[in-house]
Amino acid sequence: MTEIVIHDPTLRDGQHAVRHQLGVTALRGYAEAADAAGIPVVEVGHGNGLGASSLQVGRAAVSDDLMLSTVREALRHSRMGVFLLPGWGTSADLRKAVAHGADVIRVGVHCTEPSLAERHLGFLAEEGADGHCVLMMSHMATPTQLAEHAATAVGYGARAVGIMDSAGHFLPRDVTARIGAIHAAVDVPVIFHGHNNLGMAVANSVAAAEAGATVIDGCARGFGAGAGNTQLEVLVPVLERTGFGTGIDLYALLDAAEFAERELMPAPPTTGTVSIVSGLAGVFSGFKHQVLDAATRADVDPRDVFFELGRRQAIAGQEDLIVDVIADMTAERATG
Amino acid sequence: MTIIEEPAVHQHTGAGVTVAVIGTGAIGQDLVSKVHRSPALRCGLVVGRNPDSAGLAHARALGYRTSAAGIDAVLAEPRPFDVLFDATSAAAHREHWRLLAHTPTLLVDLTPAKTGQMVVPTITGTHAPTDRDVSMISCGGQAATPVAHALAGAFTVDYLEVVSTVASTIAGRATRLNLDEYVATTQHALTTFTGVADTKAILNISPAVPPATFRSAVHAVIADADPTRVRAVVDAAAERMRGFAPGYRITACAVTADRVVVSIEVTADSDVLPHYAGNLDIINSAAVLVAEQHAARLAAHRSKP
Repeated sequence: MTEIVIHDPTLRDGQHAVRHQLGVTALRGYAEAADAAGIPVVEVGHGNGLGASSLQVGRAAVSDDLMLSTVREALRHSRMGVFLLPGWGTSADLRKAVAHGADVIRVGVHCTEPSLAERHLGFLAEEGADGHCVLMMSHMATPTQLAEHAATAVGYGARAVGIMDSAGHFLPRDVTARIGAIHAAVDVPVIFHGHNNLGMAVANSVAAAEAGATVIDGCARGFGAGAGNTQLEVLVPVLERTGFGTGIDLYALLDAAEFAERELMPAPPTTGTVSIVSGLAGVFSGFKHQVLDAATRADVDPRDVFFELGRRQAIAGQEDLIVDVIADMTAERATG
Repeated sequence: MTIIEEPAVHQHTGAGVTVAVIGTGAIGQDLVSKVHRSPALRCGLVVGRNPDSAGLAHARALGYRTSAAGIDAVLAEPRPFDVLFDATSAAAHREHWRLLAHTPTLLVDLTPAKTGQMVVPTITGTHAPTDRDVSMISCGGQAATPVAHALAGAFTVDYLEVVSTVASTIAGRATRLNLDEYVATTQHALTTFTGVADTKAILNISPAVPPATFRSAVHAVIADADPTRVRAVVDAAAERMRGFAPGYRITACAVTADRVVVSIEVTADSDVLPHYAGNLDIINSAAVLVAEQHAARLAAHRSKP
């Protein structure tokens, strides 16, 4: 039976759903529950990763240092994961994370820009750290391009490489083609990270595993931006029934998800209007709160804002475009 | 073996101070082009490391001496240049400054090495810098610091953040490898010129097709922000910028409670750059301005009996 390494970014990607406001008690409690369930990797941080607390995306309630030391203390068996976007966090943040005992360090780049990770993957390789590379917004590149960029990342020193469906745009056949191409191009573990905008996250994750991915991401109750991520406590038993092993204890996993629903989120993510539209438009789900806030103030339709952001090919991290799009729509309305 | 390639036809531009350009990426090429247009500057040498690079071919086509020998070609010149534009990388610049610190050459640093005196023309003024190592900070620093400085002059600013977006097609390898230096140097400039201790800089690289126009968003936390006053302060800063960067404009200016967001777009006005490459145009225009100020000072000095 093929073993899948479940990677749990509940305490990182979930931050997008609560404007990066997770507190120490919630972080510690969930990390302990995930550890008890035998989840191999528990990722923590601001939603956009190390050093990313900002007005652009949202300022975190807790510092990176405190997040990392809290989760580190809570994990007895699970490895601790962190995330870094070059241009947001720096090598100084990586150094700090390694000192805090981060075991798995993911460097995220937009799917067409692997060379942005060269410096940081090289740094991690020199440190002997377990550096991985994820290509984000991967619906914006072809399977061939993704395979080539994944191989480039491995050349920089990545010990695992894969894709994020950051906009929740994929259907299973899209995932099969992309993971298959990457799997054929590299000899390191392949990662898949799904979003649920079109209700496809679990199905896409199974397609990824069947196409050769051996690291699959899932979040408790799907806690994540917009419609949320792949729902972890559904993903694990579905993978097991499909014929993949995870080594995770089902009851303890269900308990961790109960804790998450009770302590981390006001309500589990749902596939609402804005999330469906952002998935169709191919825009990062994390834009949801800011688009809704700004569209309401300006009295414009948030659905139009998402489709216009998609037309402008906004990538993750370009939240500053929202203000411009709304200013242009308001000006058009005034003159039209 | 000579390391200098002489052009078939020399470009005769007469008087002016002599400058050299090291680095043949998009920044280097545009610098050569801007120096070519400047009546005060005379390009004496263009240096790269790859003899077949497009940048050296561009310089040869304009009639300039070129070399693929790197900084050695500059050091081998019998007379030091008045100005050396450094469009290489942060690490290379630190080495270049070490090698040239004892010479009279003014180094104008286009990398985010942060070793020299930082210059933002509309803030630091029209006088030539006093140091011989001048840092042009970063493209985001050149675009955003003037607006941040103007806001900090008119209001009490508790926090400042600058998010810049550059088109992938014009982000070369040095830029990609120097993201950490970009962040540190831009934050340092923001704090230095505004007095705001808590600052943050972020850089996005956009792969959009057609390529996205360079932009910088300035986020500020200001307790008493009045939208009309904010707009007036920002517009005045932009008007000053257009004095040397005509493609500089404010595309959005929003005030919500204590949060101010100003979006700046800069288009390029250049013989060699695409219109969306305002990031390269603005830092190079500022760099050429510094060299011209230095030229004016040298001319005044040299005309004395």
